[in-house]
Amino acid sequence: MEHYNMNLTLKVWRQKNKNDQGRFETLQAKNISSEMSFLEMFDVVNEELINEGKEPIAFDHDCREGICGMCSMHINGRAHGPWDGTTTCQLHMRAFKDGDTITVEPWRAGAFPVLKDLTVDRSAFDRIIEAGGYVSVNTGNAQDANNIPVEKHKADLAFAAAACIGCGACVAACKNSSAMLFVSAKVSQLALLPQGQPEKRTRALNMVAQMDKEGFGSCTNTGACEAECPKEISLTNIARLNREFINAGFTTEK
Amino acid sequence: MKWSQFFNTSIGKKLLVGATGFFLCSFVLVHLAGNLQLLYKDGGKAFNTYAQFMGHNSLIQFLAWGLKIVIVLHAFVALQLTISNRAARPVKYQVNPGNQTSSWFSRQMAIMGSILLIFIVVHLAQLWAPFHYSDMPTQSYEGVSEPIKDLYSVTYALFQNPLWVVLYVVGMAALSFHLIHGFKSAFQTFGLNHSKYNGLINFIGLWLFGIAIPVAFAAIPVVIYLNK
Repeated sequence: MEHYNMNLTLKVWRQKNKNDQGRFETLQAKNISSEMSFLEMFDVVNEELINEGKEPIAFDHDCREGICGMCSMHINGRAHGPWDGTTTCQLHMRAFKDGDTITVEPWRAGAFPVLKDLTVDRSAFDRIIEAGGYVSVNTGNAQDANNIPVEKHKADLAFAAAACIGCGACVAACKNSSAMLFVSAKVSQLALLPQGQPEKRTRALNMVAQMDKEGFGSCTNTGACEAECPKEISLTNIARLNREFINAGFTTEK
Repeated sequence: MKWSQFFNTSIGKKLLVGATGFFLCSFVLVHLAGNLQLLYKDGGKAFNTYAQFMGHNSLIQFLAWGLKIVIVLHAFVALQLTISNRAARPVKYQVNPGNQTSSWFSRQMAIMGSILLIFIVVHLAQLWAPFHYSDMPTQSYEGVSEPIKDLYSVTYALFQNPLWVVLYVVGMAALSFHLIHGFKSAFQTFGLNHSKYNGLINFIGLWLFGIAIPVAFAAIPVVIYLNK
């Protein structure tokens, strides 16, 4: 692929802290290589801001290899930018051309308060996991691997659901800020396996109750989450969560 | 989880909207079958005897009141969900993805539902209320023991006014857009998503409920108006 350099205009959300109102700031990114990742472009811009004695743009990042789910950027109206199945660190500047104006916003959801600039607090997801996203394991000697038979197809589906990195793009992309794709992936990866059966019913009920409590919206099946998910988690997981929740709600005695 | 808690969760409320939605889908099918008799050129005999039967059969009348409760429940719970969904994003995005990540129909459910609700109120006020609660000209038919209310002629008179024809066509466009997403969406809410049946569900949702039924409904006032 041909390498080129470009000059860009960035409209970036700046917000000092949780209580600040926040505003867009227009910045120039000069001489950006098409080989850079979107985050590296921000590194260059920040370097310059620091040299000018200004406050750099705060953004979350950790692994920079597409698996940590920290880089919560809404780029030109798209969660993690215009490419499908990628996080922001895997979005390369060749997705843009010289002279482009790029608007970068943090995830917008009441349940994900902005901490600073493009950094949001996603601990609501942690509390949903705590509510039921686990399995009970006996203490004592570890069991031999593979001593519980699992149907291959189900193992594959569970694995695909377990690919969820909890980045929150589903919430950011949903017009209702619904966390259903995230919760459905976390419920599915366990509900599909024999190890997940003991807590099957309480898991679905408790995780959905916590999801509602955190202030996420409800799912209207628009499919925007699936379209934006960097791990391409399927909407069939949401159907499975609905089945798990209906089954639990209709059959638990308490 | 108690029933009261269950139906207060986001999924529980969606189940109520989905279940009432399915009932309303079955209603539009029956309603269309009856209404198409308006297009028979028999002086209204078929339609008026049908209307007489529907208006006086106690089982039908029971269902008709149930239907009104279902419409109110559907609209009320959907409104509750819409309000909490809007509140879930207090600060909006400056740039939105539009149709890149979701279909236009799927994002307009509340708007189309609201248009439909207004349409239903007007429709009931124009045709249902006068039929039940006021004196309407009657008509005698051969083989029918006594004169029956002539809803057929009242309907024909109504659709001589192009304003009402347009209103009914707009109402049915809203029905179409609402059901293109609503029918298949309700299946997903009930967890009915299966690669062997999705094709059939999507086909029925789009072609039967999304297109054929609304178009056939809308054709009634248009045909009546054009044949005057």
